[in-house]
Amino acid sequence: MPDILLDLSSVTIRFGGLTAVSSVSITVREGELVGLIGPNGAGKTTVFNMVTGVYQPTEGSIHLGGRSLAKLKPFQITDLGIARTFQNIRLFPSLTVYDNVRVAFHRHLQNHSLQSLIRSSNFEEEEANLKARTVELLTLFNLQRVQDEPAKSLSYGDQRRLEILRALATKPRLLLLDEPAAGMNSSEKTELLTLIRFIRDTFDLAILLVEHDMKVVMGICERIHVLEYGRKIAEGTPSAIRADPKVIAAYLGDN
Amino acid sequence: MTEFLQQLLNGISLGAIYALIALGYTMVYGVLRFINFAHSDVFMIGSYVGWFALQRFQFQQPSFLGGITVLTLDMAVCALLGVLIEKLAYKPLRNRSTLTVLITAIGVSLLIQNLAQNQKFGFGPNPKAFPPLFPSKQLQFGDLTLSTNQLAVPIVTLGLLAILYWIVHCTRTGTAMRALSFNATAASLVGINNDRIISFTFALGSSLAGAGGVLYAMNYPSIDPLMGTMPGLKAFVAAVLGGIGNLPGAALGGVLIGLVETFVSGTRLSTFRDAIAFAILIAILLFRPAGLLGKLKVEKV
Amino acid sequence: MVPPKSQRLLIATLAIAALISAFSGRIDAYLLDVALGAGISIVLASSLNLINGFTGQFSLGHAGFMAVGAYASAMLTTTLAPKLMGQTELLQWVVFPLSLVAGGLLSALVGVAVGAPSLRLKGDYLAIVTLGFGEIIKVILQNLDAVGGARGLTGIHTHTSLFWVFGSAAVTVYVVWSLLNSTFGRGFVAVADDEVAAEAMGLNSTHYKITAFVVGSFFAGVAGGLYAHLKGYLNPSGFSFDKSIEIVVMVILGGMGRHSGVIVAAVLLTALTEVLRSFGNYRMIVYSVLLIILMLTRPQGLFIWPLKKRKST
Ligand SMILES: Nc1ncnc2c1ncn2[C@@H]1O[C@H](COP(=O)(O)OP(=O)(O)OP(=O)(O)O)[C@@H](O)[C@H]1O
Ligand SMILES: [Mg+2]
Repeated sequence: MPDILLDLSSVTIRFGGLTAVSSVSITVREGELVGLIGPNGAGKTTVFNMVTGVYQPTEGSIHLGGRSLAKLKPFQITDLGIARTFQNIRLFPSLTVYDNVRVAFHRHLQNHSLQSLIRSSNFEEEEANLKARTVELLTLFNLQRVQDEPAKSLSYGDQRRLEILRALATKPRLLLLDEPAAGMNSSEKTELLTLIRFIRDTFDLAILLVEHDMKVVMGICERIHVLEYGRKIAEGTPSAIRADPKVIAAYLGDN
Repeated sequence: MTEFLQQLLNGISLGAIYALIALGYTMVYGVLRFINFAHSDVFMIGSYVGWFALQRFQFQQPSFLGGITVLTLDMAVCALLGVLIEKLAYKPLRNRSTLTVLITAIGVSLLIQNLAQNQKFGFGPNPKAFPPLFPSKQLQFGDLTLSTNQLAVPIVTLGLLAILYWIVHCTRTGTAMRALSFNATAASLVGINNDRIISFTFALGSSLAGAGGVLYAMNYPSIDPLMGTMPGLKAFVAAVLGGIGNLPGAALGGVLIGLVETFVSGTRLSTFRDAIAFAILIAILLFRPAGLLGKLKVEKV
Repeated sequence: MVPPKSQRLLIATLAIAALISAFSGRIDAYLLDVALGAGISIVLASSLNLINGFTGQFSLGHAGFMAVGAYASAMLTTTLAPKLMGQTELLQWVVFPLSLVAGGLLSALVGVAVGAPSLRLKGDYLAIVTLGFGEIIKVILQNLDAVGGARGLTGIHTHTSLFWVFGSAAVTVYVVWSLLNSTFGRGFVAVADDEVAAEAMGLNSTHYKITAFVVGSFFAGVAGGLYAHLKGYLNPSGFSFDKSIEIVVMVILGGMGRHSGVIVAAVLLTALTEVLRSFGNYRMIVYSVLLIILMLTRPQGLFIWPLKKRKST
């Protein structure tokens, strides 16, 4: 079995009086594709926010490859190899599609502020190199056709895909996707399924996927964790989860 | 000791005026989330309106009734002015970036100040002496000599705060105001007319600033078109100190700033008086960004 | 090795500035004064553009930074001048530019002091805090007897020439432009666009904001030095809130985060101030009405030329 990559152990977070996530433990192994599901308000996005350092857990610990993420800033966690997308797309709207991806290479940048003033041959070389890699990535997702448009002018589907691409540019070991299929029609969803599998295989990473669409989740995830009211109520393979009475109750009760 | 009590009373008087202005900042911030830069100029206009009213009525003797009448009239005019500013300059900018609104507010502030300084359209650049508003009597408490004017500011302020409390907590409009500052979208969903409430908030805040203007002028007693800037900035600091959006916080913040400023004025550091408020502001934002009575909200992602 | 195009452009601009400067004696004195003012405005507006326009950190304290630079460089030249009696060349070509850099560095230091604690603040909060810092600087200067206190500082040598002004403007524009046009530099805009997303992409937003404040206040300090050695005297009240607003308006008029727009706006507004002089007392009324109308109708800036599709370089 591959090593454990992400390890949340008994994580709790409270906002004032509200316990949004309560003693939840989740693991993701290297290269694994894991689903995180649950009714609205269950705490899925909050888990992502804790893993990426946007919120600090009130109790419990989070480790990436054995390293504690406590007190790290979001950008430091990204440096360690976690990238994410947001439930309500958060691109850099005024930057071009190309620049949206390019800035995400930041983590691997050798030349910073001073070098951009001096513009040595070393600097120009790296910039050219980054340009090639950016265009390569864009082409992979067929976004090079709009690369000079500002990101805000893209169609919704393209914005979603650009956000995933931007996350990939940081070269993560773990990719967190927050409802990537939201707002897509069924043919777009099918495309997305293929895309996610493709990403996992080509980029050699693990994926933790939050998604409401059961077809998507059941179709690609190897293991699924279920949250309800901030608690974990089930964990297992897609078929086991589908049959779990607690999960059925949670979803039926929700509707 | 007498010296101390004297300073204490002066500080409370000054602080009460800051509190009156701060309430306007905090209320507008509550419903619209922006700093109404022109608020300090409404305060200035308030003192001029008071001056004109006192000139026009030419009371033989200042009387309490006359003073209260002038104050009320003044508050009404300032309320109107506040609504006017809101309708003309800010309403067209709903949902625009904070920056745009902030710059517009600065523009409005510059316009009012410069119109006021103009000899033809305004009051002219020279300071004017402010006539007595209330009859003044000296009171003796042991060693301590007090004038009734010194007591008038805190007393009037307390009265206004009581009315404000009643409006905000016991009337439908006040409830709507609180709902709006809690969540604007939800408020409009439950049928609150946001535009009306926003106008009402401006009216309320501006009338308090107007009262502040008259009381400040009465104590000072000289007025000029640029008089609003410094008290305005300090009152804003007071609002942040108390926790922006929080009404009791604004009142508390105002009194604290007034006290600190008065006591600093009595020391060797008096020339740094105007810098003190900003030093407090920076300290509070560093150590308690939500203010003394405010609650820190975690931004939802 | 041939230097990149931007550097060649910089060198060419410096050469032209030197050339014109050599003939500045023949230029009408009033025109020269306006031109120098416009050049200093370019330095101020371009540097503030980095902070306000590109990084989205709304600062209202630029005049404060300018004051620090102005006083620091003026103090340097006025204390050194008597020791270098007769050596005008040395003063003009070595001591003066060094004093500009020193003023800029001190101002940058103050920039860190302001930037670091204010970083957590957003939008109008930051605006008020920077405004407050600007006022504190003013009050401190008013109370410092060593620099003339409220009376001001007089007897500053007038070294500022077309060369130094437009040379500084060219360097400022070059630095801001090059900083922005790199993979690292797009991060400034990313931080302005969405700080949470920027951090999630591995960008240290604090680092970006401080860099913007340091570079921005450095050049504000240089502009201050130029201003001091242009006017020959300084008064703390000249660096009030109004001055900061003036610079902010240039940045907004130029279209927040556009290099050339902001340069044009800096020149236009300097010229406008001259035109408005003929309005006498109505100058500021006209100015504020224009400002309000502008914000209501064109908050994105004056210039409507279509945004050229940026080539991916
Ligand atoms: N910053 C915050 N402050 C206060 N409450 C919060 C905050 N962030 C999240 N919550 C609360 O935590 C709970 C879980 O929210 P979360 O967004 O994680 O749910 P979710 O599972 O992602 O739901 P959805 O499917 O609707 O996206 C909700 O009740 C939410 O209101
Ligand atoms: Mg969610």
